[in-house]
Formats: sequence, structure tokens, C-alpha cells
Amino acid sequence: MKFTFAPEARPLDGYTIKRAVHRGGFGEVYYALSDAGKEVALKLLNNNLDIELRGVRQCLNLKHPNLVTIFDIKQDSDNDHWVVMEFVSGRGLYEVLQDYPSGMPLEEILFWLGGITAGLSFLHDRGIVHRDLKPANVFQDPGGVKIGDVGLSKYISESCRSAQTQSVGTVYYMAPEVAKGRYGREVDVYAMGIMLYEMITGKVPFDGQTTAEILMKHLTAEPDLTCLPEEIRPVLSATLRKDPDQRTSSIEELERQFRNVVATADITAPVPLAKPGSAAAERPVERVRSMEAETVVDIDTESVQAAPAGVAALVALWSSIPAPLQWVVGGIVALLILESGTWLPVAVGGMIGGVAYLGYQLLSIFVGEPFSARSTPHQTAAPSPPVPARQQKTASPAATAAVRGNAVPARSVARNTRDRVYTPATLRKIAKTHRATDITTSISVSLAASALVTAAVFLATNLLKDSAQAVYFAAVTMLAAWALIIPSKIWEGRTGDSFTRRLCLGSLGLGVGFLAAVLPEYLLISHDSLFEGSYKGAPVLIGRVAVADGTGSPTVACFMMFFAALFSTRRWWWQVDSFRKARFRVSSALFTLVIGIVITGMLQNFSFPDALGATWALAISAVVQLSAGWTPAEDRTLSPAPALVPDQTPPRSVNPQVPLAKAEQASFN
Amino acid sequence: MNSGTLQLDSQNRQNRWYCDTCVPESQTTVKGNMVATSPCKKYMLWIDGVGAWQLCVGESFVVGAPSFEKKSADIALLANISRMHASVEHSGEEWRLIAHQPTTVSGRTVKQDTVLCSGDEIQLDERVRLGFRIPSILSTSAIIDFESDHRPSHSVDGVILLADHCLLGPRRDHHICCTHWPDVVVLYSIDGKLRCRSKAALSINGQIAGDSFDLKHGCVVTGEELRFRVEQME
Repeated sequence: MKFTFAPEARPLDGYTIKRAVHRGGFGEVYYALSDAGKEVALKLLNNNLDIELRGVRQCLNLKHPNLVTIFDIKQDSDNDHWVVMEFVSGRGLYEVLQDYPSGMPLEEILFWLGGITAGLSFLHDRGIVHRDLKPANVFQDPGGVKIGDVGLSKYISESCRSAQTQSVGTVYYMAPEVAKGRYGREVDVYAMGIMLYEMITGKVPFDGQTTAEILMKHLTAEPDLTCLPEEIRPVLSATLRKDPDQRTSSIEELERQFRNVVATADITAPVPLAKPGSAAAERPVERVRSMEAETVVDIDTESVQAAPAGVAALVALWSSIPAPLQWVVGGIVALLILESGTWLPVAVGGMIGGVAYLGYQLLSIFVGEPFSARSTPHQTAAPSPPVPARQQKTASPAATAAVRGNAVPARSVARNTRDRVYTPATLRKIAKTHRATDITTSISVSLAASALVTAAVFLATNLLKDSAQAVYFAAVTMLAAWALIIPSKIWEGRTGDSFTRRLCLGSLGLGVGFLAAVLPEYLLISHDSLFEGSYKGAPVLIGRVAVADGTGSPTVACFMMFFAALFSTRRWWWQVDSFRKARFRVSSALFTLVIGIVITGMLQNFSFPDALGATWALAISAVVQLSAGWTPAEDRTLSPAPALVPDQTPPRSVNPQVPLAKAEQASFN
Repeated sequence: MNSGTLQLDSQNRQNRWYCDTCVPESQTTVKGNMVATSPCKKYMLWIDGVGAWQLCVGESFVVGAPSFEKKSADIALLANISRMHASVEHSGEEWRLIAHQPTTVSGRTVKQDTVLCSGDEIQLDERVRLGFRIPSILSTSAIIDFESDHRPSHSVDGVILLADHCLLGPRRDHHICCTHWPDVVVLYSIDGKLRCRSKAALSINGQIAGDSFDLKHGCVVTGEELRFRVEQME
């Protein structure tokens, strides 16, 4: 496990880091001593900065014996934000749970429940909801139980209960309504219910092979309460209701009900095992305990807003279908497409995708991981050379893929749970030099990729009649890829409004469309041959602009409309981002193909060639994905690290002679 | 004053702070008896993602309260106990506890001394409870756990009394359980020097290290999935 700061580093004046404590979903935590010897925990906020800072500032002056005290928020010389917190030396509930694989003693449960309830009710009473309650955030201290990560808390207000910009939480303890972006105090009650279940039985109620499966169960499955003592079942049943309005109303109410029940019942009595085949027999397998609880699901604004819970559930459902069944369903869909008569673009798409994938595999064989945005330090056998004052952090491929409900084996997630899930939505610093290198490399690679894809189209179809038409197709594909890659790479790691980005790409699409329209003249390509078979309709004028001229060849305006629509409909910057899920995703290319088919269908009456248009959409997607720099999940980092050696070279903050950009560049090489 | 100077000052202050809690090698009188204070060497192991452990190297270790008169115990607990409340000694494969003040071991009052077995609970006066365990059958090195809330003045997860080897690794029977480490790292002492050995490829202060190497004050040991820093407390 790698951490950014080495022992003895002093990122903040007055504090010396002694060791790293852990890496959570929202930042790294270090144990540090002030110059006077006061122990503190320093939390470096790497990501979700706005959320974290907003939450922490709200909680800065809260004082309660059951909450980890936040002392201050500071900024280091690199403008990174740090939260200075009380250091809690005791064990976390997460660790304690490992000592009790079959459930904790009642006395212990009541101890934790009492402390958590006191801390949470204090927060709720002040209109704050924790949102990320989990065993890894609850600690035992000489002063009692302490709840940490209160910085993630969010004010409860009616206006913003469903207007979240990001959903943040832990998948095992995540209430169903979080999928809709709703965060009331009920999410804490739900999480407490899950934790109670886990404390009693030693396992969580909703488990699965994939993150998506677990989320799906939170949304739809009823918890198996048969492994609980009978008296406890109604209490936890009410706590784990899907509908927050029907859930136990408050954390105090939950504690009161639980204490009332256990006062009369013996919850330590063993529960008889259910017979095979019964519902109880399907209770979740005891999961591998690790910092799995750290797995964080991070849904970006657009996904939450554009994909309501129903769509999210469908996506999760698809991911939970076994792979063979997915192939069967896919086959049926393919047959339906063939039946509908739009098979040509699909066939071309398959050919392009196949050739592109083959090309990628060949490149992988000969040059390792081609065009990766960063090197792969883990592949070297030698130990990491200098002990850096600022090391790069790594993210696991499993954790990365775990985002957005994708099929990742839960065990893989478990092994890498402390790692952050990095997605294109992850905000990060990218050095200018690195960004420039990434763009130029991507553009260079797009030349070869365009040629490869065009060759596939040329050989597999009769869309392109001769070599001149092939050159034309390749040139337009490449121009389009450039127009998409360059701005997307500039936006990478930054915040940005989706609408503005689409508008910008749409404008670039107008330019590409214009070039695509005028290029045949310069290449001496006959329109009749190129657009053979296009619909010849009546001339169409929009204002003074001729969208169709009735000759059977698309006009300049028609070309511009096609590319503007294609560029602005897809979220291209996700296909370009270095933190995309995979270098090349066939599903993404096929979805672009569908978009292309729809757009060409709409422009068909204006003489726009449908097969060529759809093929262009697919080819552009393939070229963009193949060309754009991509970072393998295990090498993903948030902030670059200068290779400075503690004890030999002071940290950056005390060495003004080490330029930041230079140091960052060094870390990439 | 620039920040570099501040950093040095900070380190000096901390070293001084550690020195202030050290016991000088000497003879001390407790209730009229001569008690040999140990020539124990103490180290702090700051282990990323694991914790902070005190490593004591020697034959005899004094347990007591800290002192501001340079007479602190090897295991100095912020507790209402004597500055030299008891001693733990190692001889051959045996650990013995010598009580200088009221002490019980697993409920038995210790009049003078007693043999310590793995799993024993040491109680100093009425409220201070320490656990004694020997986690590995491969080594007689012992661990002192803090059972009650009484701890040293800085956060320490436990104290390792080094007899022969100290094992840092992923298993529960290692002295320091580092669950995410892929390999075992062995610490041992030869000729008064603390050394480190591991099958894993390690580097020390950024330089690739051999199979075994000396651990000096301030050195940082780094591996593929591990990092720890050693500080000598004297």
C-alpha cells in the first residue's frame, strides 16, 4: 500500500507526519505530531473536495464525546486541503467485528449501539446526516465510542434531499434511496440497521459477487431475518425497510426498541440453521473481512440525474445476469436487428470492432500496454527506488471497475478495498506537460487507428468504392477523432458542465461536418459514386440554408447537422478519459453506432447516406477509444509525486528550489 | 526562520522529548533494594497502515510511570504507579516478572518474582492492566499489550520485548500483524545493532538493500506494499 507522504514529511507547518494510518474513500489519513508533541490525525482530501470541505466546515465546531473532533482545515503549499482531527487510538468496530465471526456478545453490541446512537442523534438533532456510517468509521476510544468521517455529513434540508450532485457511501451499508440521490437521516438509520444485523450475526444482510448485485439487493431484496432471534426480527425489519418513510423514524427509536426487546429476549441463543433450499439457506456467505467496507460508489451528476433509479436498476440487473445468459440475450437482440433490416451498419460495426480489438491485442503483445498514459511501476521486480516524500497512490482494477454497477468479483473488491475507485468523474491534477504529451500521443496514434478502421471498412463492405473514397473516409474519421480528443483531454480531471461541453463539441462537429462536405471536391471524388443510393427528395430550405438540394447528394448543412448531432449527443469525454473503464469497450462503440443510426435516420430525407453515416459514428468511436491515452486501473493516481527522499531532501513545502511542474513531470517518467 | 529550520527544530525537540523519557543505565534504589535498571535500547516502529510499536532490546525492562527527572521506565505508562513498579526479565526461554510494588499476575499476587506465561495479565496496583503474550512459537520475543486505558504519553499499540526475533508479517501469530504485507520482515539484534531481514525486495532510505541490513535511527524501510520508519528513542 502506497501513501503520498513519507514519515517525517511536514506538509503543514507545525505538524510532522509519523506514519500513514489508512486510505479511505475520501482521502488519506496520517498520524502526526505537532511541534509540541500533540497527536493529531491529518486527513488529506484528494477527491470529492467540494463535498468533503462543505461537510467538514459545517461540522468544524461541533463538540460531542461520541464524535471525532475536527480541529481545523488547512491548506498546504500545493493548495491541497487537510483536515486536522482528533487522533483516535482505539480499534475500529470493523476490526472488532473480525474477532466475532459468528456475532458479538450482547453487552458489546449494546456498548457500540449506545455510543453510535448518542453521536448520531446529536448530529441529527443539528440537522446533519452522516451519510457514510459503517464499521470502518466507528472507533472505540478510552472515552467511549467515536464516530469518524463526520466531514461527509450533509445538512438535511427539504430542498436538497433529492438534489445531490454526487452519491457517496459504502455499498454494504447504503440505503436504497441513495440511488435516487435522497439523503435523509433515514440513510443513517438504515446503515445502523445493517451494522446491528452484522454485529448480531457476523455477516451483512446483503452480499453478492459483484457490487452491482449488492446494490440490486438493497433496492429489491428483502433481508433474510431468519438468522436473527425471533424477537429481534420486527425491529430490524422496520429498520431495513426500502421506503424511508416507512422505516424506523429515528436512531433513538431504534435503540429504544432494540433495548426493550433484548431486555426480555436472549439474543445470544443460537438460531437453528434453515434446511437446504429454504429462504434462510440462501443467507449470504460470510464475506471476507477486510476494508471492503471502504468500497465507495461514486455516481456523477449526470448519471444520477439522467439515469433514474429504474434505469440504474436495469443496468444493475443486466450486470447481475450470468455471462452466458448475457450472450443469449445479446444474440436475440442481434437477430431482431437483422430481422429489422438494419443489419448492414451492425455488420460493419462488428467488423470494425473486431479489427480494432485485434489491432489492440497485437499492439499489446508487441509493446506491452500501448500508449498508457503512465508507466506501470508495479511491473518492476525491484523495490520502488527512492522513498518518496510524495508517492503515487494506486487504485485497483477491481475497485475501478466496481463503480457504476459492473460485474467485479466481490472477492477481488475485497482485496483492494482500501483503494479509491477512479473514474472519469474523478477530479485530479494533471501536469500541463503530461496533458500535452497525452494529447499529442493520442493524436499520433489516431492516424494509425483511422487507417486500421478504414481498412476494415474498405475490405469488409462495399461502402467505399475505391482508394480515394477510403482516403476520404479515413481523413474525416481522423479529423473527427481529433476534434473529440483534444477538448476532452483538456477537460480531463476538471469539473465541467455537461451541457457546455456538449455545446462545445457540437460546435466542433459543425466544423468537421463542413470539412467532410467540402473534402470530396479536393480529393476529386464524385458525389454520385460516394453517395450512391441516397434518397432524392425535394429541396428543403431552413431560412436561407439549403438542407437538401434534391440532387441526391447531402448538402454542406446536412453534413454539419450530422456531425454536430453526433458530437453533442454522446458523452465523448468519457470515451477519451484516461480513467475510463477499459481502453476499448465494444458496448460503447455499439451504442455510438445506435446513435449514428438514429441521426442518419432523421437525416435520411435530406439525402444523407445512412450506411455511411452510421459507419462513421462507429469508426469515430473506435478510433477515439483506441487512440486516447488510458491509464490501467492499478496505476491510477490522483496527484503526481516528485521523487524526493526524506532525510536527504526536504519535502516540497520546505524546498522552494524544486519546481512543482518539474517534479510532477519526473514522477511520470 | 525558514521552514527547513523549523523541521530540524521539530526533530530535535522530539528527540529531546524521547531522551527525557529514558532511563539512564544505572542502579536505582527502590524500597531500600538495589534494582538494576536495564541497558535497554528502545526503538519506535512507525508502520504505515498498521500502527506504532515500541521495540525494546535488552535483557531486562522496567515498567513504571514516566519521570521528569530522567528516571523513566522502559515501558513508561501514564498511570498512578511507581516509576519503577516492576521489571520483566528474559533468561533463556523464560520470562520473569520482578515486582517492586504491588503487582499481580493473572490474579496471583507476586511477592518477589514469578514466571510469565503467554496469556498472563499483569496488574500494577489496582487499575493498570497489561497483557503478556508470546505470539509465535518460532520466537520467545514477547508482547506487552495495554489492556486498561493506561498507555505511554504517545500513542503506542504495544511493546515488543525482543528476545531473539521480531516478526512483522501478515499472520496473526506474527508479533506485529500487518495484514496487507505480502512477506515477513524479521527484526533482530546482533552486537547491539538492530538489523532487518526479509525475502521481500526492500529498500532502505531509497537505496536497494540486501537480504539483511542494519536499521539505524531515522531509516525508512520500503517494500512493494510496506513502509516503516525506525526511530531510536535514546
